[in-house]
Amino acid sequence: MTLNRRSFLARSAAASAVLAAPTLLKAQPAEYVFGASLPLTGPFATAGQLVAPAFAMAQRLINEEGGIGGVPIRFVTEDSGYIPQNALANYQRALATEGDALVAYFGDSTGFMKLVAPELKGDQARLMGSTSFASELANPEVNPYQYLAGPSYEDQFDILLQNIANQGGSTVAFIFSNTEFGRDPIEHGKKRAEELGLKVVLEESTKPQGADIPTHVTKLAQSGAEYCLLQGYVTGVWPQLIGGARQFGLPTKFMGTFWGMEKIIADRVTEQAGPFLDGYQGVMPYRYFYDRADAPRYETFAALSKEMFVGTPLENYMPTWTIQTMCAIEIAVRALRDTAEKGLELTADNTAESLNAISDWDMGGYFGGPVSVEGGKIGTGRVYTYGAENGLFTPSSDWFNV
Amino acid sequence: MGQFVQFTLNGLLAGTIYALIAVGIVSVYKATRVVNFAHGYMIMFGAYFYYTFAVLLPGLELMPSWLAKWEPDWLIAARENAPMFSPMGAVLDWVSNLPRIIFGITGAVIACAILGRMIERMLMRPMIGQSSFAMIMITVGLISVLSGAKGLIWTADAAFVPHIAPNAPVRFELFGNPVFLFGADLANAAIAVILFTAIVLWVRYSKGGVAIRATAEDQQTAYSMGISVPAVFGRAWVLAAATGAIAGAILATRNGVSPSLGLFGFSVLAIVLMGGLDSYVGVFIAALMVGFLEAMAQWQLGGEWAEVVPYIAVLIVILIRPHGLLGQKEVERI
Repeated sequence: MTLNRRSFLARSAAASAVLAAPTLLKAQPAEYVFGASLPLTGPFATAGQLVAPAFAMAQRLINEEGGIGGVPIRFVTEDSGYIPQNALANYQRALATEGDALVAYFGDSTGFMKLVAPELKGDQARLMGSTSFASELANPEVNPYQYLAGPSYEDQFDILLQNIANQGGSTVAFIFSNTEFGRDPIEHGKKRAEELGLKVVLEESTKPQGADIPTHVTKLAQSGAEYCLLQGYVTGVWPQLIGGARQFGLPTKFMGTFWGMEKIIADRVTEQAGPFLDGYQGVMPYRYFYDRADAPRYETFAALSKEMFVGTPLENYMPTWTIQTMCAIEIAVRALRDTAEKGLELTADNTAESLNAISDWDMGGYFGGPVSVEGGKIGTGRVYTYGAENGLFTPSSDWFNV
Repeated sequence: MGQFVQFTLNGLLAGTIYALIAVGIVSVYKATRVVNFAHGYMIMFGAYFYYTFAVLLPGLELMPSWLAKWEPDWLIAARENAPMFSPMGAVLDWVSNLPRIIFGITGAVIACAILGRMIERMLMRPMIGQSSFAMIMITVGLISVLSGAKGLIWTADAAFVPHIAPNAPVRFELFGNPVFLFGADLANAAIAVILFTAIVLWVRYSKGGVAIRATAEDQQTAYSMGISVPAVFGRAWVLAAATGAIAGAILATRNGVSPSLGLFGFSVLAIVLMGGLDSYVGVFIAALMVGFLEAMAQWQLGGEWAEVVPYIAVLIVILIRPHGLLGQKEVERI
């Protein structure tokens, strides 16, 4: 076969088309995929099982609202057992099976987010939210693709300490689990307390589960702290500590951060052990689900929950843990949509740029007002107080921006 | 000085619970020469059984309401007059919970004893005559089985259970420093010491106890003297499981019910090695020492050190006395 000018041009065009085809296909996949690792088994199985339905709801809601630039999105969740290595394996498997269709990922722990961070390079990187509020993750220069769906633990301590100072408090104790999660805001908290003129009279680390409650309560009693900030617990230890202190007649006021502020846990403690969580305070980045005035997004969730989760605990109440996940998903979806609108590929770099450009966004009721992503996080929250009689956390401060 | 006394008391009270856990490991070892690595997980089951019988079952609609909360008129009247969280309030709360506490303890002991009996009958007895190492490896495998079974039966939530004794605070001044103790801790320590003493006396003076000691000395000779060695094995496992149920219930009241209770077994195994695998008294002393050292480390160095310092002491003791504080030195004749 002779190669003349015409056949050369025809073959070149065909070859170009073949070579360009993947790019064209990449630009318009049949569907996008949002992967997630959740602790469906293991120590935080309760949280994982309450969070999992959020992905089903998000898939329906987001696709009804037009997906990502008209392309539907599919959510894929896998169990991690709360083991970072398992979550990393899940992520790598999702990358291998979904390829470029995988546009975002949701991690289940600080441990996983730190473990995966060095892997997020080139075509292995994806936009990534998580259950974590670890301060270290809120650093776009180091972790450009990772973000927090609220304030960091350091921010949450800032809010609590500021609130204590506003109330005229003078002494504070920090009790925290001896985990990364527990230690996260402690050094920062000490500095902030000093700036606010608060004296830290006790720094006590405990086991994350099965802590020696009498010894810790004894130390708290001897410290004479007016306030005690608890950090690094989910379902255990913090209620026992408060229970022990109340049985001991300690007047200390206890305060917690996001993971120690779930109504389901507080209600269960009240039911099983009595009303000693009455007056317990803590910081919450979001509004509670029952606070739906002027929160159209929550109303949408409520209507969907009644339809999708009949007969489950989620039918009438969305836990704060689930709200956090929905918020993280919505932030990622907003970044993906903004990127698609600009006509750009949904690469990690492009979507991270869109995410960090989110400004003055009214999310429909999650927060106290419009929010911006600054420094890889949304630095807002307010203090709530638990009432054992009505089983509700009610606001006891204005919204703080940190 | 007052602070020293405070933390010494805290440590000794915790030490008595360790001793109660350890008694199960020693009993099984004395009778069968098997170190039960899964004992911590049997204790975890004891804690969950207590939770089941004291919280979950009384909460069912088909159960009588007095089981969950006994509230006769006089008790309601007394509670109304007692301030919330006062010592009297704590006692009245305990009285109100008494039916489910008794139901919980009884249920936990029986269920755990059945579990111990099943383990012995199905896993250990077929291994009689095999090497102890094989039986020990079975107990290692049992850890995964019990841990997985727990996940299938109960959720991973940390849950509350009622205190076995009234948890009224005890306060007094010592050398100008306030000393605080929990009433329930004092009662738990008393229960642990009484049970421990009873078991030691039973093993030393009762017919069944002598059979255990004879079997421990030499199984063949014990057989030839008419002792039913399988029955001795069974008795030792049931004893370990039953005491483990009470230890589990006590741990659950102190620290909440959670899967982490299984890990206590490993800490206590170190205590048993320190005291001497076959010595009840040695193990009791070691348990108090570890409790004391943990409390001192917690006081002076903080929580991270509390999990390390006592076990460094355990290692040192084992290096100096490989058979533990009061353990019998094994003499092998060739």
